[in-house]
Amino acid sequence: MDDCVNEEILRIEGLRKKYREGDVLNRIDFTVKKGEFLSILGSSGCGKTTLLRILIGLLRPDEGKVLKDGQDITYSRPDRRGMGIVFQNYALFENMTVLGNVEYALKVKKETRDIARETAEKMLEAVGLTEYAGKMPRALSGGQQQRVAIARTLALHPDIILFDEPMSALDVSTRILLRGELKKIQATFGTTMIYVTHDQEEAFAMSDRIMILHEGYICQLDTPEEICKHPADEYVQTFVLDNLRAKIDSLSKFAKEMQNGSEQ
Amino acid sequence: MSDTATAKRVRFERKTIIHVIFLVFFALSVLAPLFTMLFHMTGEGMRSVFSSPLFLPALKNSVLTALTATVISELLALAAAYAVERSGVRATSLWSVIFVIPMLIPSISHAFGIISLFGNNGFITKLFHSNGSIYGFWGIVLGSVMYSFPVAFMMISGILRYEDSMQYKAARVLGIPFWRRMTAITFPFLRKTLITTFFAVFTMIVTDYGVPLAIGGKAGTLSTLMYNTAVANVNYDNGSVIGAILLVPAVIAFVADVAFPEKNQSGFVTEGVETNSKHWVKAISYAFCVLVSVFVLLPILAFCFMSFAAKYPVDMTFTFSHITDTISRGAGELLLYSLLYSFLVALFGTVIAFLCAYATARLRGKISRFVHLFAIMSMAIPGIVLGLSYLLFFNKSFLYGTIFIVVLVNTIHFFSSPYLMMYNSLSKVNESLEDVGASLGISRWKLVLSVIVPKVLYTLLEMFVYFFVNSMMTISAISFLAPPAPKSVALMINQFESQLLMESAAFVSLLILAVNVIVKGMLIIYRRIRSRRGDE
Repeated sequence: MDDCVNEEILRIEGLRKKYREGDVLNRIDFTVKKGEFLSILGSSGCGKTTLLRILIGLLRPDEGKVLKDGQDITYSRPDRRGMGIVFQNYALFENMTVLGNVEYALKVKKETRDIARETAEKMLEAVGLTEYAGKMPRALSGGQQQRVAIARTLALHPDIILFDEPMSALDVSTRILLRGELKKIQATFGTTMIYVTHDQEEAFAMSDRIMILHEGYICQLDTPEEICKHPADEYVQTFVLDNLRAKIDSLSKFAKEMQNGSEQ
Repeated sequence: MSDTATAKRVRFERKTIIHVIFLVFFALSVLAPLFTMLFHMTGEGMRSVFSSPLFLPALKNSVLTALTATVISELLALAAAYAVERSGVRATSLWSVIFVIPMLIPSISHAFGIISLFGNNGFITKLFHSNGSIYGFWGIVLGSVMYSFPVAFMMISGILRYEDSMQYKAARVLGIPFWRRMTAITFPFLRKTLITTFFAVFTMIVTDYGVPLAIGGKAGTLSTLMYNTAVANVNYDNGSVIGAILLVPAVIAFVADVAFPEKNQSGFVTEGVETNSKHWVKAISYAFCVLVSVFVLLPILAFCFMSFAAKYPVDMTFTFSHITDTISRGAGELLLYSLLYSFLVALFGTVIAFLCAYATARLRGKISRFVHLFAIMSMAIPGIVLGLSYLLFFNKSFLYGTIFIVVLVNTIHFFSSPYLMMYNSLSKVNESLEDVGASLGISRWKLVLSVIVPKVLYTLLEMFVYFFVNSMMTISAISFLAPPAPKSVALMINQFESQLLMESAAFVSLLILAVNVIVKGMLIIYRRIRSRRGDE
């Protein structure tokens, strides 16, 4: 987290959310620093998407507060929080061109046509899609569509971008490519990123810090190195680290086999 | 009040208020009229209906004609759907279009078409010098088959088209023969659809009064008994009793459909079933398609001859005199009224059905399921019952006798199918769109209009056409409510037929068909353009 200014941008205090089936989030407290890349890692149903939806304002907590730059935004409208969100299923506006997707929100916000166009083009350039500006989203690959979604979010210059498992629908090679691009975008714009995933490899490869969520509780929130060295409990050890090690072992085994094969 | 409590209250109000508005709408437009009719039943009325010498024969006729016609219609539809979807015949779109043409004319026209072919002065009767009468049981059956066949065909072929090929491929690899594949894969796959179709067609036939009124002769049915009792004799007490009886099969079909939703057909279709049938299967299928097309087109052809021939079928000299006569008898003016009614029903119906489907498909909440149930409930109410219910409920209101009540009753009568079309389309639209819109500061209405409506535009047009076409044809609900507001042109068919003005009746049928073909045709052309542009 070299680029991070040690300034707090987001503070979550005593967050609680209950559904009919029981507690989804229980006394969640954490802070996020400006420019940080924080991953929220956990298995299905652990409450990570619920937490993300509360942060953006699509869901209201039963208890607790969300503070951004010291301001209580718990009940603010999603578009007045200075945050953007990118979903797994892209949610692009299929009847608009790639450029149209990126500039639409700017137009709605009464930006002049020229400024909207200029900003949208700049964002498309940032995600490497300039040549696709006039195409319809359906003509693009999954990875490209996801980059349009990122450009659309970036166009409003949010302080924080939330990602809800954005790479789950993509193939492995595209995922690896997009990981690098995401880090590059973060470096360019200095945006704080909160990234929800169930993929240990993804979280450990990209994050400054990782929050491991299990059954609505934070098991551990630390840097990837610290989590590896000092797992907080048995869950972190078995479900996170052991799985990750198994994945790394099989990958290095595969790499060795490939290497031997090419030498022979 | 704490911040959390205030926020919760605001959230509760927004979504729930929309659902409550729809619940109130359906309570006033469906439940209240229906219960008014049911509460209108009196012990006296029941005794009078059940002891009437006309009741038992009508009940027997209704059940027997509906059962016979349903079985014939469903078997024909099954064979036609198989021929079109599976046998490998060419021009499948053409056959499909021809088979559904009868859906574009009123039920009474089907009966009238049969009379023009097989009646005393019918074309076929004269051609073969036969002297048997088509009026009565078999006339009702034949007319009902013509009326219901397109619906059964669409229901079965729609399902056959989307069957997955994997089981068939596996069966072929295992060497399972053709007939065994049919009985082990195709029929179990179709079982629920066949049952649903049976109930739907039976209900459709048993509650229709157009066919039996025109061709039933002395063989009265429950629906004609209700028509004669409530419309002709203005006896609403007895009419309500018969209406309640007519509700029974429709309610059973509705409950069965809701209680046992289809499980087999919701699976993922990787690839459609191949159609590389044997030559003899293809040959039989072609012959069958031609036969059904003749069966479907012959009455329409007869309408053309009757409208433009000097004296059908004896003097076939071309003339426009029947047309000018029909226009001078008021058909032209009523056609304009019908076009206006149908346009208003289509507009109002499409807007309401879209909003309702949006509320249930994309604003899910605690009571959205009830709104959905209410929205599909109207399919369980026969038009003739709905008409009487509206008459009894609204007769003292300012709406009665106005164009608004006609628009409302037709909207409700045809509501469930377009609603379901839109509900299914909206359920398939990306579920995160509204969330993205909220995070980008795009209001929900702006998002709906600029992103969701373009996405479901074809479904919207389909809904509009469905409402329009059905409103052009309907004679059931409207027959109770039209006077003193202007009548619909479809009602003139019955009037002309009873005055023995056969040429005029034929011309009105043809007029309705022409309007509906144009409207449907525009939708088909639009679809072609879309698929060429790659929008589908």
